[in-house]
Amino acid sequence: MNSYQRVMGTLSGQPVDRLPVFAVLGAYGANLTGTDLPTMFSHAPSYVAGQKALQEEFGFDLVLTAFDYSAIAEAFGGQVAWCADQVPNMKRPGARRAADALALPLPDPAKTGRLPVILEATSRLAGLYKERVPIVSVLPGPGILPALLVGMDQWMETVLFDPELAGKILDYSATFFVAWANALLEAGADCLVFTEGMATATVAPRQMFAGQFLPHLRDTFSRIPGPKVLSSTGGSMNHVLDLLPGLDGLVGVIAGSKDDLAQARQLLGSELTLIGNLDNLTLPALSADEVYRMSLQRLRTAAPPGRYILGNAGADIPQATPAGNLRAMLAAGAAYSAAIGCGS
Amino acid sequence: MNPRECSELLLAAMINVDRPGAAEIIGQALAAGITPPRVIAEILDPAIVQLGRLWEEESMSLAQNFVASKIAEDALLRCIPDSRDRARSKGAVVIGNIEDDFHSLGRRAVGLFLSAAGWEVHDLGNDVPAELFLEKALQVEARVIGVSAMMQTTALNIRKLRRLIDARGLRDSIKLAVGGAVFNWRPDLVAEVGGDGTAHNAVGADELFLRLQADLPGEVAP
Repeated sequence: MNSYQRVMGTLSGQPVDRLPVFAVLGAYGANLTGTDLPTMFSHAPSYVAGQKALQEEFGFDLVLTAFDYSAIAEAFGGQVAWCADQVPNMKRPGARRAADALALPLPDPAKTGRLPVILEATSRLAGLYKERVPIVSVLPGPGILPALLVGMDQWMETVLFDPELAGKILDYSATFFVAWANALLEAGADCLVFTEGMATATVAPRQMFAGQFLPHLRDTFSRIPGPKVLSSTGGSMNHVLDLLPGLDGLVGVIAGSKDDLAQARQLLGSELTLIGNLDNLTLPALSADEVYRMSLQRLRTAAPPGRYILGNAGADIPQATPAGNLRAMLAAGAAYSAAIGCGS
Repeated sequence: MNPRECSELLLAAMINVDRPGAAEIIGQALAAGITPPRVIAEILDPAIVQLGRLWEEESMSLAQNFVASKIAEDALLRCIPDSRDRARSKGAVVIGNIEDDFHSLGRRAVGLFLSAAGWEVHDLGNDVPAELFLEKALQVEARVIGVSAMMQTTALNIRKLRRLIDARGLRDSIKLAVGGAVFNWRPDLVAEVGGDGTAHNAVGADELFLRLQADLPGEVAP
């Protein structure tokens, strides 16, 4: 089995030769190619070279298109902070006031700013890996997307104190959200991962997610074909997991690093794949032995019912993470798979 | 209603993200003759302390914390119309996100809570060079500088500010508070960047800044 077959088999609950292992590695590719991050995130061939090097070095069961939301903020007129040693970040949003978001021109995925660079990288990855390694694209969930237009402070204030305006901004930004997701699929992405901050317990309570954002997820997901995964963005999402089954095209959830995986499985039901939940931020400081032990612990907890993929929670794994820690994840996946007789 | 009952109601309003309800509670307390300083000390402060405990237990969301900080700001503005009144202030502080860091939400919450607690807050915003922190602190006679960073890469930029403070011989005049998500994950980073202390959340900033200010030679603990 190749990675694509392994992952698709897991998503559909079929037997596989070994359990898949994911690691969110974007900027880490620069460690291997020697490229600086501003180049990597503004030049499609450089980004793809990083993914290719990561595949050759580690062989995780996915390749990832750029986890870079600053490109979206920039496409909406925001400013980007470029630093040599970190992923580009939004410096200033395009709209100074929340109401101004409604006047921002909607970006064209094929033409605006660096969005075409991401699409080109996706297309190049598809050329290299289609039906061999799953091509996964990460994009902000529709509920948190407006934070890239107006800033998180303004967005949170609008959601809390001006729900009518918040609803208008959600509707307005949804046009781009759907177009961007569909453009990524057309460029070759096999699966879309949505990091929905508003589904994270540390950001919004359950009733707020259920009342203000879940209906929006339902609406927008129904306009995007293809498999979808929802990510907790790293915190905790168990408080809303039971609300997610039935979302159009949802095939899996990336649990937060603070979530109890056994509880997550129970809440999610048996039809959706559970992914996670090593804490990406702690990976640089752990030893390889610790990563191996923590990986095995998660496998033993979450893998027995099936439809489980070992992986990290949160965003990009920091570049300071020792390569041995990444290999420890793979080794744990292989050891567990062998122990339960995968492929035999 | 006595101040304790008012404080409990105020806390409930904060938890229920009920900003209008909180304003009504503060209004009723003032109308009942509770003086503005007592409203802050006996109603607002205890609610904020309780809120901090809930945050520590991870039973509060950012949305609830955000509304709570707004409620605290509302109450402050009603009770101390001019929050820059130095006679009432605990002192001047300078806060901001260190150079290359653009994650402002935590810092803004810290600013609101410090203001609510009676500090004269000078918020320099995001992406602030080390030199500017020190320049502003000297200008406004701040005894504590609070620097926020979300990620390890940007947190390391705080070392420059530490070096500047030391090079100017100001180690015994200005304390350096550091905070942000990365310090909660890696407490050892506080010492690595030269911080004098940290708080796990915005609510704990008042206590931290008071402690750091009291540690300075010539300062009298409150």
